[in-house]
Amino acid sequence: MTNDNVIVTQALRKFYGTMEAVRGLHLSVGRNRITAFLGRNGAGKSTTIKMLLGMVRPSAGTGTVLGKQITDAEENRELRRRVAYVAEDKPLYGYMTVEQTIRFVRSFYCDWRADIEKRLLQDYELPLHRKVNTLSKGMRTKLSLLLAFARCPELMIVDEPSEGLDPVAIEHLLQALVARSAEGVSVFFSSHRIAEVERVADQVCILEKGRLLVDASMDELRQFYRRIDLVFSSLPPECEFQISGVERIQTSGRQMCVFASSNADAVIQRAHEWNAVSVEVAPVGLREIFLKTVEGN
Amino acid sequence: MLWYKAWLETRSRFLASLATLTLFSAIFVHHAQGLLRPEWKSDFNRLLFIHQQFLVIMWVLAVVLLGMGGLIPEKSVGTSSFTLALPVSRARLLGVRVGMGVLEAIVLAVVPWLAVFLVVSLARNRISITQVVSYILLLVGGGTVYFAMAVLISSLVAGEYAAPAVAYGIVLLTAMLFDAWLRPFNLWRLVTGDFSINRSTYLISGHLPWLGILASLCLAVALLLACTIVVKKRDL
Amino acid sequence: MFLKLTPTTGQPLYLQLMQQIRHAAETGALKDGDQLPGIRTLAEELLVSPNTVVKAYSELEHEGLLELRHGSGAFVCVKRRTRSLADQMQDARRRIRDLIERLRDDGLLEEEIRRAFEAELLYPAEVVRKR
Repeated sequence: MTNDNVIVTQALRKFYGTMEAVRGLHLSVGRNRITAFLGRNGAGKSTTIKMLLGMVRPSAGTGTVLGKQITDAEENRELRRRVAYVAEDKPLYGYMTVEQTIRFVRSFYCDWRADIEKRLLQDYELPLHRKVNTLSKGMRTKLSLLLAFARCPELMIVDEPSEGLDPVAIEHLLQALVARSAEGVSVFFSSHRIAEVERVADQVCILEKGRLLVDASMDELRQFYRRIDLVFSSLPPECEFQISGVERIQTSGRQMCVFASSNADAVIQRAHEWNAVSVEVAPVGLREIFLKTVEGN
Repeated sequence: MLWYKAWLETRSRFLASLATLTLFSAIFVHHAQGLLRPEWKSDFNRLLFIHQQFLVIMWVLAVVLLGMGGLIPEKSVGTSSFTLALPVSRARLLGVRVGMGVLEAIVLAVVPWLAVFLVVSLARNRISITQVVSYILLLVGGGTVYFAMAVLISSLVAGEYAAPAVAYGIVLLTAMLFDAWLRPFNLWRLVTGDFSINRSTYLISGHLPWLGILASLCLAVALLLACTIVVKKRDL
Repeated sequence: MFLKLTPTTGQPLYLQLMQQIRHAAETGALKDGDQLPGIRTLAEELLVSPNTVVKAYSELEHEGLLELRHGSGAFVCVKRRTRSLADQMQDARRRIRDLIERLRDDGLLEEEIRRAFEAELLYPAEVVRKR
């Protein structure tokens, strides 16, 4: 597995008037991995992706995708040849039929996989001769995904892939993502479905108000993020527990709940020094990490 | 397959305009020529001249409508992310849209005159091919600038109704301006053949106003270049 | 082979996968020479990133439990050492059973016992590498 990055940004910024949508973003997405991009609505995920694909011009900063400069129109066009992108609202031309849409998109790429196209058409049961504006939302999502999967891009950028899909379809989708990843495609996807992300992601990036708050592998998150529940006979001052790695402390009566991104043993040590009556350590799921990280900001 | 997409997007506007213009031309000339006597030769030519006046108005309105579209309306509908994710430059997207529009504009000029030619020939009247070609050349050569203007407006003004409203407004404004102040440079008169018509025979005679046509086409190209710059810079 | 991974425990998925494969080898569900599913197949089946499977397989190869043959797949090599490990595990299970019985007699509830075990296992939070 090569170690280089498929997406790198340096101090990427975007202003809309006086509103700063993206503030000094330093992103690096590794090759051959599945990277998840989490964030609330309005955190700047879509703006970032649009800057990467040349649709929006950065106000400042630089970036490369697959080694090509995103701010150079010609290079960006080159990189788009090797990137498959599925936008959040699954845009398609309503006036084209399913078949026309597939033929249209296919004509732009030489890495088209006719075998995958055929299989997905069957699996998704897409009606070839119906106009896209008569399809249901789930069908439109499936068609958008087909258009991305029936290729051999080096990088797939997918925004909210499971939106509009039923649980069975979501399973198929995750399988398809995993399969492509096994074939060497780097996947960069944003999703609100924490459970999905927790299963398949190798790396997680959490964006809030245009800044990257967390950029860590799922393994690291699982190994080091801890929730430590302490009970004292008399509560020590909070500042005693503001050690490195501690993200949030909540107190209530004689109880203290410490949320740490690392260094949990130091917290436990400190708890013992202060004669804690009860020390309970528990792992933290991704949902809680996301909520606590975003709220605390 | 960008041409296919451009065709699908302009198909209904184009076909509706084509039907309207062609039917108008055929019916107008057919009806009017029935009112003429064969010995009124110059009146017959005047009929063709009058036909061109009407055709110009309808043609300009039609090509302005054809000039609408492109990435800005696509952004409102939401498909711009789809189009812009394709590995094609914005210049190429615009170029294909303009190319399709120009082809359609030419057809919109040629077919109605073809219908006139047929209607006149069927009535055993004589109509010179050079006259027809001259009228078509004047129309397309001088009028394409209005198409270019419409394309530029569609890249500057967002809104399904706002953009054509502004474009039509400019058409009206220029018509009034030309009439009021810029008489020697009056594009309308150029396009309708007013500068080239022999008032006694009502034949397009002498030289066509090549300089005027060239100026008009240059302006069209300049407007399209401006449009390219606008589209390239815009955040979509 | 039936594997179950829990994304919400405090343990990286590849470690869980490794443990389950080891357990299968100990209990005899996987015998010497058995072939494990390919990386892509297993990843699709479990719905995890292929990198998780790759990491688990390569760590197990490093430990000597698996043999990765280029192009053919991953094969189990149960060595003598691992067989005695099965005995160790049986012994450990017996001892844990006794301890749990005693804790229950002391009046602890099942939930409390489970939490105590979890807490002890997670502290310290470093991965102890098996030699």
